[in-house]
Amino acid sequence: MTSLKPIARQAWALLASLPVTIVALALLMLLVVACTLAQTDLGTLGAVDTYMRSLVVWYQPPAIPFRLPVFPGGALVGLVLVLNLTAALARRFEFQPRKLGLWVVHAGLILLVAGEFCTGAFQVDTRMAIEEGQTVDFVESYHQMELAVSDRTDPAHTVEYGIPDALLRAGAVIPVPGTPLSFRVRRFFVNAVLSRRVETDPPALADQGVGAGITVTPARPATADNEVNATTVAVEPLAGGRSYGTWLVSTELGAPQAFIHEGRSYALSVRPRRYYLPYTLTLKKFSHDVYAGTDIPRNFSSLVHLSNPARGEERDVLIYMNQPLRYEGRTFYQASYGKGDTLSVLQVVANPGWLVPYLSCALITLGLLAHFGITLFGALQRRQPAPEAP
Amino acid sequence: MKPARWFALLFTWLPGLLALAAVLLTTLPPGPTRGFDMQGFAAIPVLEGGRIKPLDSVARNALLMIRGKQTVPSQGRQLDPDEWILDLLFRPATADAQPVFVINDPDVLGLMGVRQTANRYFSFAALRPHLGAIQQQAEAARGLEAVQRSRFQSAVLNLFERVVLYDHLENAAQLADAPLFMELQTLRDPQSAARHRELAEAAPFRMLAPLPDGSPDAWQNSGEALDAAAAGRLHPGLPLLAEAGAAYASGDPAGFNASVAQLRGLTGNLRPGALEHARDELLFNRVQPFYLGMVIYVTALLVLFGSWLFRPDLLQPAAFSLLAAGALVHTAGLASRILLQGRPPVTNLYSSAIFVGWAAVLLGLGLERMYRRGFGTAVAAAAGFASLIIAHHLAMEGDTMEMMRAVLDSNFWLATHVVTITVGYSGTFLAGAIAIAYTLRKHLAPAPDPAATAVLVDMTYGVVCFALLFSFVGTVLGGIWADQSWGRFWGWDPKENGALLIVLWNAIILHCRWGGYIREKGLMACAIFGNIITSLSWFGVNMLGVGLHSYGFMDQAFWALSAFIASQAVLIVLCLAPRRFRVGPAV
Repeated sequence: MTSLKPIARQAWALLASLPVTIVALALLMLLVVACTLAQTDLGTLGAVDTYMRSLVVWYQPPAIPFRLPVFPGGALVGLVLVLNLTAALARRFEFQPRKLGLWVVHAGLILLVAGEFCTGAFQVDTRMAIEEGQTVDFVESYHQMELAVSDRTDPAHTVEYGIPDALLRAGAVIPVPGTPLSFRVRRFFVNAVLSRRVETDPPALADQGVGAGITVTPARPATADNEVNATTVAVEPLAGGRSYGTWLVSTELGAPQAFIHEGRSYALSVRPRRYYLPYTLTLKKFSHDVYAGTDIPRNFSSLVHLSNPARGEERDVLIYMNQPLRYEGRTFYQASYGKGDTLSVLQVVANPGWLVPYLSCALITLGLLAHFGITLFGALQRRQPAPEAP
Repeated sequence: MKPARWFALLFTWLPGLLALAAVLLTTLPPGPTRGFDMQGFAAIPVLEGGRIKPLDSVARNALLMIRGKQTVPSQGRQLDPDEWILDLLFRPATADAQPVFVINDPDVLGLMGVRQTANRYFSFAALRPHLGAIQQQAEAARGLEAVQRSRFQSAVLNLFERVVLYDHLENAAQLADAPLFMELQTLRDPQSAARHRELAEAAPFRMLAPLPDGSPDAWQNSGEALDAAAAGRLHPGLPLLAEAGAAYASGDPAGFNASVAQLRGLTGNLRPGALEHARDELLFNRVQPFYLGMVIYVTALLVLFGSWLFRPDLLQPAAFSLLAAGALVHTAGLASRILLQGRPPVTNLYSSAIFVGWAAVLLGLGLERMYRRGFGTAVAAAAGFASLIIAHHLAMEGDTMEMMRAVLDSNFWLATHVVTITVGYSGTFLAGAIAIAYTLRKHLAPAPDPAATAVLVDMTYGVVCFALLFSFVGTVLGGIWADQSWGRFWGWDPKENGALLIVLWNAIILHCRWGGYIREKGLMACAIFGNIITSLSWFGVNMLGVGLHSYGFMDQAFWALSAFIASQAVLIVLCLAPRRFRVGPAV
């Protein structure tokens, strides 16, 4: 039996080799070009998912029922680059002052890519829309939805329960903790088009509320930057051994629909998923300044009051362009505005790895400076003094 | 020193000194035209586009947008922008007869029933019968996305926008059919209020400085001032403006000059800072340092070409001194912009072109000092010239010192990210320019010169390293800015991708070279390809019309970019082809 060792050694050498680096860099360039061009059709998110965050780029030929893998995806190429880099570092590392800069550069690169994987895995993008004078203690997801159940028995004190869209799969029965309710999911649509039901349509999904008069047509999930999914679900509330009929709930249906169980009124709606915060923000003033005599925006800023009773914090914060509020692991950025400049929209990002790019970039920059500085110094040393011009 | 040595030294630096002396001459103010102190009028500060500028800047930018040039030929002489805008404001009938609208599109000419001839310039009077048709077509085109418009639709919309600008300027001080002094006499007539409102709405700039009791931003245009005057609050500048207008229209230079002097004195009392700023910017406009720099660079290039044929010992240093003079003028222009704007050097596409050229020229000067073979001078002069030409064309889009939109309003990041990434562009272009020099030399030089080739290879390699450093650091600083303002370090935005492509390409070149996969020819061909990548990243992504960095769809630029890319592709083929290759059988 032949030993596997030589083969393993060869594979190891291949993995650490320079041609692999070059090919991977070239593939990455092609992917970046494709991802950029595709943004006009797919939107940024769609293009990035197709080309950069995938292991394989697929192509769907028009006449064939299945899709074909046509190109390695950005995630695969990135992975190969990181392995290649790590292997090369491990294999060729030798301590030479002349090469120190290069090692620092490549270590920094590994950290940079690792940081981006960390961001991709853990970053949560949300937003907070506040009107002037309003106090808000939650942030909303951009893409995830939830089925919200609001106990409105006491109008002064609404109790809210959210069922994330990840749990809403047809056939599932989901109990809502803290209430006697469960929900059976009849149908779930990530995106749908709602229309008024006509005679020729199939039977309505719902038999309660406004849904009884509505036809639901499934739609492709949104990818473009300015599209929003019209998430729609048909659910059957179950409580105390009885059913309350099937209700159609959708982001497209404005007013929440309510049913009453044992004297308590529960309203149903689909809305962007909420994350509640242990503190509140109150918008005291939103400012939208323009340059004199024009509509060119000069600055947007939100003066908010931050209240965190648990930590005894009560203070005002001014959030403006390029000046976010970083607080308890979340960063609040001035993102948008509306309602005649009385509504401010803050982008809220939780990214545990936000510091990694800063570190890796500092490393790479120092490494490049050191390496090219050493090279330039060497070149100048070797050069003969140039003859004086006559 | 021996006299011969003195002579050589003088001959070396004389061309540069002469060029600088010629530049200094342009700073002298011109005398009055037809007896009118037009410069005095054009130096009055106005509020337009959110900033204070001399009326001269408004006139220049408008004329550039409408006519594509800064002068108008009229009866055997050239009108400068100041005379043109005076006519437009106070002698509308004269201005309407000047050929100021450039129309290149044959279908737009067809819409006007005109056959395309060598004459591409039309007066407002010639357009007037067709305004209805132009507006109708333009409104239809406006409803479409920029990328969906046909060439005709883009052209007719563009013409319509220029007509609107012209019309607004013509009605900026007074309505074309009602002189300002008449308005002052009929302040409270029943029909006047409507005319005042029309004036207030049309005026694209505000010429009357805020009064001491008003808000510092409350500059007034004639319409607003007439309205205030009707309510009993007469701005003291309004009668002066009216007198100046009447004197200009009736051909009374003395009266005009006196009123203008008083108006300037009044503005200086109300807003001394504004008057000073306007005077400085007027000087900058008059000198046109980037245009002069362009001329000096091209002269340096020609002298250098000459040096390869004749007396290199004299002409090569002369070319270097011209390059240094050009760099000095370029630097002075850049510094003036920084001071006038109170911003770091790169704030928009126009200033990025100025800066890319500037950094490339400085790098080239450095290379020339290191290697002394004329290559540094050649590529620096060519890069400086090319970038200033590009900037010249980008200036047609309007005010080049426009105010920064809120998200960009950060001098710290403009000074770090934007400057670094732009230096990265310069480096990549300079490496490409050296590679082009290598390619041309290879095919044109009478005999191969291995020592010269080695110098070119050395220079290219060094500049690619430099470019990688700056484009990487610049890209990363951009990521950090994005993290500060939007909460994500990297968002695959087209401009970010473009910057990443430059970094990746430079990294590929260096790795290929370190691995020995490319040598002389390969390195040079790769460096030329770097030009393509950088031009796409610089301009191409703006044409996609998506993302945070899309400043507008530029369709004329699209063809220029395509031509550039094609030329670079040809150069790559030439670079890889054997020396002295001929089409057909070898002899």
